[in-house]
Amino acid sequence: MSSTQAVSRPLEEQMITTIPTIHLAAPMPGFPAHRRFALVRLNEEGLLYAFTSLDNPELRFLVVPPDPFFENYTPEIPDESLALLGYPDAEDLITMLVITAGRDATAANLMAPIVINTVNRMACQVVLAGTDMPVRAILSKKE
Amino acid sequence: MLVLTRRAGESVMIGDDVVITVLEARGDVIRLGIQAPKDVRVHREEVYRELQAANREAASPTDEVVEELTRTLRPPEEQ
Repeated sequence: MSSTQAVSRPLEEQMITTIPTIHLAAPMPGFPAHRRFALVRLNEEGLLYAFTSLDNPELRFLVVPPDPFFENYTPEIPDESLALLGYPDAEDLITMLVITAGRDATAANLMAPIVINTVNRMACQVVLAGTDMPVRAILSKKE
Repeated sequence: MLVLTRRAGESVMIGDDVVITVLEARGDVIRLGIQAPKDVRVHREEVYRELQAANREAASPTDEVVEELTRTLRPPEEQ
């Protein structure tokens, strides 16, 4: 797997300097040109990560693991997505939720998680259409 | 927009690899079957548009926002 130097940013000084590349098997809706990403841990507790485009590092998403914010979140990954990811075993997968910081609250997208196969580093944003998962689920409110 | 008329059982090809078949047409409701390569994503338009908008809204928060969340994000019971 190819590795790459991380783009240094003031906030991410504690980043390791070589980060393995994650390859999106299909691009994220709205961002067709971006296929290679890095996952960068932003806080010590491992609650907040940046999913940063290596094709243009100006693009990044903030992502969180579902646990501990949504404890009963166990999405069923559709077969088409499993095929894109190379038919992983369940234990090879990690899930990250894209979050949006709004004025009053931070919300997570439960309808379209980013699923990463840790073995081959393929990923995709899985669309759980036909479920009642919200696109905006409140993660935390601002005081 | 290209407009074609099909009956149940007939199909449309898009490029070399995408085939859309009208499986059943009953009044207002049309059932479509879609064959496409696995890296071509197929979604109901309104779902796709909603996700596209959500991704765009989430994309590239400012450094201030990132810094605040890095400092303040906590598991639910600690809020």
